[in-house]
Amino acid sequence: MVLVSAVRDYVNRMLQDISGMKVLILDSQTVSIVSVVYSQSELLQKEVFLVELVDSISKSKEPMSHLKAVYFLRPTSENIQYMRRQLARPRFGEYHFFSSNMLKDTQLHILADSDEHEVVQQVQEFYADFVANDPFHFSLNISGNHMYMLPAAIDPSGLQHFCDRIVDGIAALFLALKRRPIIRYQRTSDIAKRVAQETAKLMYQQESGLFDFRRTEISPLLLIIDRRDDPVTPLLNQWTYQAMVHELIGIQDNKVDLRTIGKISKDQQEVVLSSEQDTFFKSNMYENFGDIGMNIKRMVDEFQQVAKSNQQIQTIEDMAKFVDNYPEYRKMHGNVSKHVTLVTEMSKIVEERKLMLVSQTEQELACNGGQGAAFEAVTNLLNNESVSDIDRLRLVMLYALRYEKESPVQLMQLFNKLASRSPKYKPGVLISELGIFMGTETFLNIARNMARGLKGVENVYTQHQPLLYQTMESIIKGRLRDVDYPFIGNHFQQGRPQDVIIFIVGGTTYEESRSVALQNATNSGIRFILGGSALLNSKRFLKNLEEAQRIARTSTSVV
Amino acid sequence: MATRNRTILYRKYRDALKSVRVPSGSSPSSSGGPVIEMSSTSLLNPNRSYAPLSTEDPGNSSKGALTVGLPPAWVDVSEEIAANVQRVRTKMTELAKAHAKALMPSFGDGKEDQRRIEALTREITDLLKKSEKRLQRLSAGGPSEDSNIRKNVQRSLATDLQSLSTELRKKQSTYFEAPPAAKRDGIDLEMNLNGNHTRREDDDFDDMGFTDHQMAKLRKSEAFTAERKEREIQQVVESVNELAQIMKDLSVLVIDQGTIVDRIDYNIQNVAASVEEGLKQLQKVLLLFFLPQSSSFHIILGRENTETRGDGDVRYGSRHHVLNHVSPPYSQGNCPLIC
Repeated sequence: MVLVSAVRDYVNRMLQDISGMKVLILDSQTVSIVSVVYSQSELLQKEVFLVELVDSISKSKEPMSHLKAVYFLRPTSENIQYMRRQLARPRFGEYHFFSSNMLKDTQLHILADSDEHEVVQQVQEFYADFVANDPFHFSLNISGNHMYMLPAAIDPSGLQHFCDRIVDGIAALFLALKRRPIIRYQRTSDIAKRVAQETAKLMYQQESGLFDFRRTEISPLLLIIDRRDDPVTPLLNQWTYQAMVHELIGIQDNKVDLRTIGKISKDQQEVVLSSEQDTFFKSNMYENFGDIGMNIKRMVDEFQQVAKSNQQIQTIEDMAKFVDNYPEYRKMHGNVSKHVTLVTEMSKIVEERKLMLVSQTEQELACNGGQGAAFEAVTNLLNNESVSDIDRLRLVMLYALRYEKESPVQLMQLFNKLASRSPKYKPGVLISELGIFMGTETFLNIARNMARGLKGVENVYTQHQPLLYQTMESIIKGRLRDVDYPFIGNHFQQGRPQDVIIFIVGGTTYEESRSVALQNATNSGIRFILGGSALLNSKRFLKNLEEAQRIARTSTSVV
Repeated sequence: MATRNRTILYRKYRDALKSVRVPSGSSPSSSGGPVIEMSSTSLLNPNRSYAPLSTEDPGNSSKGALTVGLPPAWVDVSEEIAANVQRVRTKMTELAKAHAKALMPSFGDGKEDQRRIEALTREITDLLKKSEKRLQRLSAGGPSEDSNIRKNVQRSLATDLQSLSTELRKKQSTYFEAPPAAKRDGIDLEMNLNGNHTRREDDDFDDMGFTDHQMAKLRKSEAFTAERKEREIQQVVESVNELAQIMKDLSVLVIDQGTIVDRIDYNIQNVAASVEEGLKQLQKVLLLFFLPQSSSFHIILGRENTETRGDGDVRYGSRHHVLNHVSPPYSQGNCPLIC
């Protein structure tokens, strides 16, 4: 609840003291931030009868001075410009401006200068600058997420912009929680170090007054790590509900768009998967595919019982009961349809792409197979006609990440075979993509991760544990080594923290957020929160890789 | 949660810049700040009852703050409905009290209470029906910001009306299911009083049974009770039907919580389109709602089910009343699970 309720509280406060009919104006980022925690019907209850995007609103000329405008925007220079123009020609009776993060003095000046008609009633900073997807998982939805993979020299201003957004998001999180953390970072990652340093500077120097909260005995820990430390997790196919939907179909801000998948009935084309609003989802989001199937069947049976009894209306009481229960019935019907549709579509995809076969090999590559067997398995799957291009790519990447050092010759063979099957994946490109992981300790980590071995796993498809799991274990045992994860500056932590926020530069996965949620449920005494610059599945991760590789190549060729 | 208020600093800057800035004068169109804004743009309802005022006030400088202007005419309709909603809420509390009173044993014959309950129920149902019809009038023509606002106001009021309808239903069913004995007590009590009274008078003669006078009185009150019971049933049936109708109409407008339609980002993209969608949903609702075994279900207000036995024990076959409401013949048997 922590993250979701923090953002909800901010939204409530924005709306509560302004009476009368209101219009809420958001930007493309704050729309996501608000939409995952607040519903349209809740807005209506607060008399917000119109919601607009700040960039589209300027096209309209309709003045509506009986409405009070509530702006909730990120403090970007673009948004300030939009506001300038809108203040110059005010369409609404009153203007209340809420910024999702700290405003610069210059920005205040610009706004004040444009407010000739003095329509602005208040200017506030409400630090809801992150998307609270789940109670302990947030994302910053940064487009251009591939930035972190590029050497700094290639696009310094782009990289600065990227880091700024991350620092802003992390700062907002701690302001919302009213805490100031001890900061540690992954030593082997330049960008993690940079983010850590800039965050520390902001919290302890530039805005130290703002962050000066009542000190509890133990400060929370902020740990900044790099996605490249564990590139295996985002590449793997998933078999637990939430992660699987994101991997096979795609979840954006807790919404699933089924329109591209196939023939779906009109009212199921876009659905919401939110643990806050859907109790079935809440109890099943981390379950295995097989178990989900059973649970859905049970839900369908229950529903059919209810539907049947609704058909037997014989007495006045039955009729009355039907009328009373109709809203509930309707809701149940919608929910059942939603989950049945999702699982049906995913089953189709699993069947078409032969994912059970593919995934088995993936898990062995990621966990504990031998090299020879791995090579053979991958070769066979490359030869298999039914296996799709992207799955072939993933298998080869996983093999490469695991065995590049051990058997480069065989890897080259696989690259060539892949190219012959799927011409768009050229060996040269793939090699340079792998190069992105050079110089990091990725390979060492992977080996380390493998060496832990299987721990009596029931399900071969869910053997894999993300590296994050081990990081959390180390923190719980108080054994996170300084040499691997140094403290910023002269920060130091005596004893274990009670709150740990882990931020992955480059993005998180749902497999990792599941790991965090399950860990939190064990009540170890430490509460973990996970966040990232984006929410990855294999497609997005590979796209980031491709994009980074393409930019790196073109820039070096220019030089 | 931490926040930071920048208003004071902002005002400081604004004031400082004001003195520096060259006053822009009373330029007509863009930057002019009308005190009362009554734009006559065509996007607003052309049937508005307000005449457009001059938007220029040459006397003032352009620095006058825009006061909140007068809203368009349809807001009157929405305010009227909101006022009705309030009235319904008040009457609902009165109804609850009336129900409670009627269920308590009393010395009267309960006719007054019954009348009051009927009256209140009728008033509430009428208000709900009227409001729901007015609500339909809030629907606007083509896509515009104003029509989006109207649609949202509609949805908000529809939600209120629907929850009030449901509440009324629940109150009725609680009252209706209360044992008839509670309502008969008054009669019995009265009977006993009369009986005792009579016995005292005719002590010598009436050790065994009732007098003729008492029998007549008993039969009369039984008949009255039966009649009253039937009226109650009829009223409930009517009201259930009316409420069902209201809820059916409202279900187009009320947002299904937790679904995509309740998402703010979805609504930004799909404002005008969803009204049309709603109408299609309504058709589906009708299919589900009038779930047929056969192609309609039946109301029989069966007087024949009411029996009166000689020993004064009146049976009301209320549990055997069957509802029959003839519905349009688009029903198709079993409704599929996934539409």
